[in-house]
Amino acid sequence: MRWRHPVFVGLILALAPLPAASDAPGVSVRNAWVREAPPGMMTTAGYMELRNDTSRPQVLLAASSSGFETVMIHRTIVKDGIAGMVHASQIELAPNASLVFAPGGYHLMLMNPKRTLRAGDAVVINLEFRGGLVLPVAFEVRK
Amino acid sequence: MALKFRLMAAAVALVAMLAGAWVAEISREHDARAMLLPDQVITVFPDPKQLTAFALTDHENRQFDLASLKGKWSFLFFGFTHCPDICPTTLAVLARARDLIAKNAVGAEDIQFVFISVDPNRDTASKLGQYVRHFDATFFGVTGDNAQIGNLAGQLSAAYQVAITPGTENYPVYHTAAVFLVDPRARYHAVFTPPHDAETISKRFKVVRELEAGNAT
Repeated sequence: MRWRHPVFVGLILALAPLPAASDAPGVSVRNAWVREAPPGMMTTAGYMELRNDTSRPQVLLAASSSGFETVMIHRTIVKDGIAGMVHASQIELAPNASLVFAPGGYHLMLMNPKRTLRAGDAVVINLEFRGGLVLPVAFEVRK
Repeated sequence: MALKFRLMAAAVALVAMLAGAWVAEISREHDARAMLLPDQVITVFPDPKQLTAFALTDHENRQFDLASLKGKWSFLFFGFTHCPDICPTTLAVLARARDLIAKNAVGAEDIQFVFISVDPNRDTASKLGQYVRHFDATFFGVTGDNAQIGNLAGQLSAAYQVAITPGTENYPVYHTAAVFLVDPRARYHAVFTPPHDAETISKRFKVVRELEAGNAT
């Protein structure tokens, strides 16, 4: 399965007994991809464009995947020429706005893959938002 | 027009000498006159600093030292293989830059790319080999003991910090995000500032190489 285009996977609360179920999610993800890790490397990163089509702020709290032991939301910061990573504990998406996870900025840090991922593969990562919304997104592995 | 150019070039050269030079795009006008436009992609030093002896080891356990930098332009990048974002991103950019430079008439015979791991604790030679070859078969992966990494990094004013934490394999590493350009005489010639872009690096490098070839003759 390849994800090339506006993909959205609005999967939702349908399965979870949450009171907010009446509020349609309206958070979408496009261009979701994971960088193919060099052979033997246990760390890579995932990128995407997140869009909040609702009229309320949406807060991304965490991400998880059965494909990796650990998934963390990180941001690369270059300060005074020095690159480092900071953990982003929650990311607020403004109403009707987009946020891009891109190389050198926000990314999903993916550690210890359960299987070797090669370009062309897909791996599902669940994005967890405040209010109980969980969005499973298929990320395409790219070189 | 030619006078204007000369004046502009002179003014830029002066600023460059005073401030450490923001060089740039070359634009060929008439007989190969270079026009320099200020930008923040590359800083070219008017008086490149001669590097001195250091001793590191490459991904095939060969000595990598000052002599290894002679005779070629070297692009140096400091990082570590457990780095999920900025290191693979930069190495992928450098691999594309190399492809672009190789398409030029002068080619890529006189350039090399060196990834210097500041994390020898986790990055062995064989790991480095697997890592760099993933991006480009010609890339070097180099590391060594902390004193020698510090030696070369210090000569380039490249800062890094390895925050080894007992009991965890996933300690953070901070490192300079710049790409350093060392000329074939092993002098610290220029530095590329992030965010890096393959097209820009290849274009700027061609200008620097041409200018240096012009100086040499």
